[in-house]
Amino acid sequence: MAGSDLFTGTLDILILKAVSWGPRHGYAIGRWIRETTSDDVIVQEGALYPALHRLERKDLLDEEWGVSETGREAKYYKLTAAGRAHLRAESKRWTKFSSAVTRALDATPA
Amino acid sequence: MKRIFRRSDEARDVGDELRFHLDMRAREFMEAGMSPEDARKAAADVFGDLGAVDAQLRVARGIHVRSRARRAWRQELIADVAFALRTLRKNIGFTAAALATLTLGIGAATAVFTVVDGVLLRPLPYADPSRLAMIWLTQPKSENGGDIPLSTGFYAEAVGAGKDVFSSIAAFRSWPYTLTGAGEPEQISGTRVTPTLFTILGVRPKLGRDFAETDGDSGAAPVAILSYSLWQRRFGGDAAIVGRSIDLSGQSFTIIGVMPAGFAFPRGAELPKGLQFGLRSEIWTPYQLTAADRRRYSPMNTSAIGRLKPGVTLARAQGELSAALQAWIKERSPTLVLDYRMPTLKQQAGQSVRRGLFLLMGAVGFLLFIACANVANLLIARTGARRREFAVRATLGAGRGRIVRQLVTENVLLATTGSILGVAASVWATRAMLGLVPGSLPRADDVGVDWRVALTAAALAVVVGAIFGLAAGTQVRSGDLADSLRDGEARTTSGRARRIGRRSLVVAEVALSLMLIIGASLLATSFARLQRADSGIRADGTLTANIVLPIGTRFDVANDGPGWAAFFRQLTEQLAKAPQVEAAGAVSNLPLSDAAEGGGFAIVGQPTPQSGQAPHTQYLVVEGDYFRAMGIRLISGRFFDATDNAGSARVLVVSREFARRHLGPSPLGQQIIPYFDFSQAPRTVVGIVDNVQYGSLDSPIEAQAYVPERQMNYPGLNVVLRTRGDPMALLPVLKREVHTLNATLAVSHPRLMSDVMSESLARRRFSMTLIGIFAAAALVLAMVGLYGVIALSVSQRHRELGVRVALGAQASDVLRLVLGEGLRITAAGVLVGLAGAFALSQLVTSLLYGVSATSPGIYTIATTIVVCVTLIASYIPATRAARVDPNVALRSE
Repeated sequence: MAGSDLFTGTLDILILKAVSWGPRHGYAIGRWIRETTSDDVIVQEGALYPALHRLERKDLLDEEWGVSETGREAKYYKLTAAGRAHLRAESKRWTKFSSAVTRALDATPA
Repeated sequence: MKRIFRRSDEARDVGDELRFHLDMRAREFMEAGMSPEDARKAAADVFGDLGAVDAQLRVARGIHVRSRARRAWRQELIADVAFALRTLRKNIGFTAAALATLTLGIGAATAVFTVVDGVLLRPLPYADPSRLAMIWLTQPKSENGGDIPLSTGFYAEAVGAGKDVFSSIAAFRSWPYTLTGAGEPEQISGTRVTPTLFTILGVRPKLGRDFAETDGDSGAAPVAILSYSLWQRRFGGDAAIVGRSIDLSGQSFTIIGVMPAGFAFPRGAELPKGLQFGLRSEIWTPYQLTAADRRRYSPMNTSAIGRLKPGVTLARAQGELSAALQAWIKERSPTLVLDYRMPTLKQQAGQSVRRGLFLLMGAVGFLLFIACANVANLLIARTGARRREFAVRATLGAGRGRIVRQLVTENVLLATTGSILGVAASVWATRAMLGLVPGSLPRADDVGVDWRVALTAAALAVVVGAIFGLAAGTQVRSGDLADSLRDGEARTTSGRARRIGRRSLVVAEVALSLMLIIGASLLATSFARLQRADSGIRADGTLTANIVLPIGTRFDVANDGPGWAAFFRQLTEQLAKAPQVEAAGAVSNLPLSDAAEGGGFAIVGQPTPQSGQAPHTQYLVVEGDYFRAMGIRLISGRFFDATDNAGSARVLVVSREFARRHLGPSPLGQQIIPYFDFSQAPRTVVGIVDNVQYGSLDSPIEAQAYVPERQMNYPGLNVVLRTRGDPMALLPVLKREVHTLNATLAVSHPRLMSDVMSESLARRRFSMTLIGIFAAAALVLAMVGLYGVIALSVSQRHRELGVRVALGAQASDVLRLVLGEGLRITAAGVLVGLAGAFALSQLVTSLLYGVSATSPGIYTIATTIVVCVTLIASYIPATRAARVDPNVALRSE
């Protein structure tokens, strides 16, 4: 899972982002992360579930059982109010951090 | 996406979630062209360690689910309570009615329970009290089969016979002392005790030391132990009191200790009244027994208490003592019929009031039931009215359990508030109850609202509340919840079931209040008859006070007696000269004080009775003009007069009952040998007086014999003054005359004879007043309950009544219809109530006087009261029904 340790909480932010448009089940969240990050973040898909459950325990996500597009029962995750606030704050921090790192890496010797 | 309700099951949840993921992922690979088998493998590969993730999730999931359930439960409870408070506030009329009823019911029940708990249930304040037993003698087949105290000789026998079964037996007897020194002389309730008494009770002095074995030897230096209250009152709680000397009845005692606060054994109300213990013992001195005392088998004036050895049952102890006594009797006096009676101390303390208190418990239980029935009726009615609300909530997703839980919360809240108010009210009510029986309730000191009582009330509240909630909840059957949205409630079948339920409750209420009213009427009738009962005296205008001369450590009639007699003769002569005094006398025991002494006698000219078979009489020692002062009628012969002296012929005055039982048609001039007289010489009957009630007003008439003080010296008498004008105004005169003769004497218990009489009725007044209050409260509650049921029924049948009126029914028809409904309920209640009262009549018989427990007159009167009250209760809604306007009624709904 080389990429996921890049920044503690990266996976968390991505998960929160994945459900920010509405409830999704675990598979859909994983697929969205794979597709939008071109498989760069998650190497082992199993790692997704402990993260989901941890976020739920922290009250950032809420669960709900529903019927998926294929007609099967699936567990859906949705953002709680706390989760939405957390996502907003973390995105801001991430943007600041990454632009700072980018600036530093792009810098030329003075 | 459709919601699905399902129970949380962590194992299945985790498995399902992961399987769903793997299946979807495999499907993705298959869409990309893989074979199903390869696709499954690929999906597992990219997932990683499935087993590890699965296990990790399951553990985490379990913790999570449980904590979330707890949190949800808490949140729901808070929401329920908040909602309940809102609902209760919104229906303030209902809430106030329910709370007032609950406060009344729980308050009364708690107050009565507090008293019963203090008097009968709570452990006595002694170590391991269940192993303490009193030891009395009893004559199993005699006419007075009551407890007879031991003599010092019998005490010694019991100690010897009880060696194996009792770890120790102590003797004690009452011994009033006059405490002199700083302040006015005061008569103190003293008790002389053998040295082991406090060890037996397991109570140690707070200050100083307990009695030592040697303190009980005759001739030992006089020592005394003070009660905490006496120490505080007379000595200001002086910490250096131990070792100081005090003067008791003219003798100097060294104080060796102070007992802890509250210790007052023996307390007068706990022991037979004839033993004349004060309300609380305040000073203890050693009961010194000589070798001669240990062989003296009369007089019977000694009480005894023993502590059973570990592992010995009361029955075994009783058996051993009895066997020893029977052996002794066989050897010494074969015709004597005598046995021991050994109640535990707790039985002893409660026995005089047990039945009365349990009757009160029963009565208050009825009241509590009626109160609960009323609240339940209110709740059922309200639940009915709220069915639409519940139906809406059910449709919005609330399960039936959820709705019942809401109802239970609401009702527990209501019941809890009611019981808090009830307990608060009971603190006041307990005090009021105890105020009705000053001093005559055993262990009254132990009565108080404490954690036991509060716990009982709390448990009551929770149970009552939960039952109400569940009862109301049964109304919320999920099946007809939907109906409620469509239908008016009166038409559903559950409406009928509910009506029947509510009516049965009201029938029970009517029945129970009828029973209470019958009980209260019986007690009130008894009380009225007792007050009119002939006590043989004229109580009005009479002042009495008790004066006890110093006795010292030994009761020595031969030396001290003439002095006692001279004192009382001079005192009564001086008092008779006071201008407002009509007659002045003195007597050893007051009428109605339940304290007369008794003894046997023989009649000269008749065969000498065998030992233990002698006829029994109450006897009284009198001085001065006692009979006139007390207003006792002379039947024939003469009263005592100044010529009856120590040296003159020995005389006796007997009561009419004495003469009737023992002396035949010509009683005057016959000769009697009283065994209770110290000299045991024959006495001539010179007068017959009317019967006097020396026991309580309801005791049977007993034979009485009067002896002049000058011929049978007695150290303590009650002065009796018949006065013109206010008797209490004579108290200073009495005190002055007493102190002129002897400045160290206390004039104690000054009272009007009419107060003595009313005090002797205190316990009866207590149960009569309380049951009367309960009965009245029950009747009011039953009336409200019936009114509620009829009123609701009228409002539910509004339409039906409208139809009837539209079809030509007259107002009087409607009135009759509704009144008929009320009457049917009342009739059912009255039948049940009469049957119940009849069934319970055995239980109250012993508390009645001059009236039968099944008196038809009282049953009729009580029934009439109940019927009238219930008629009023149904008349109000009936007149409203009679005014129904069919136009309005038919248009509603």
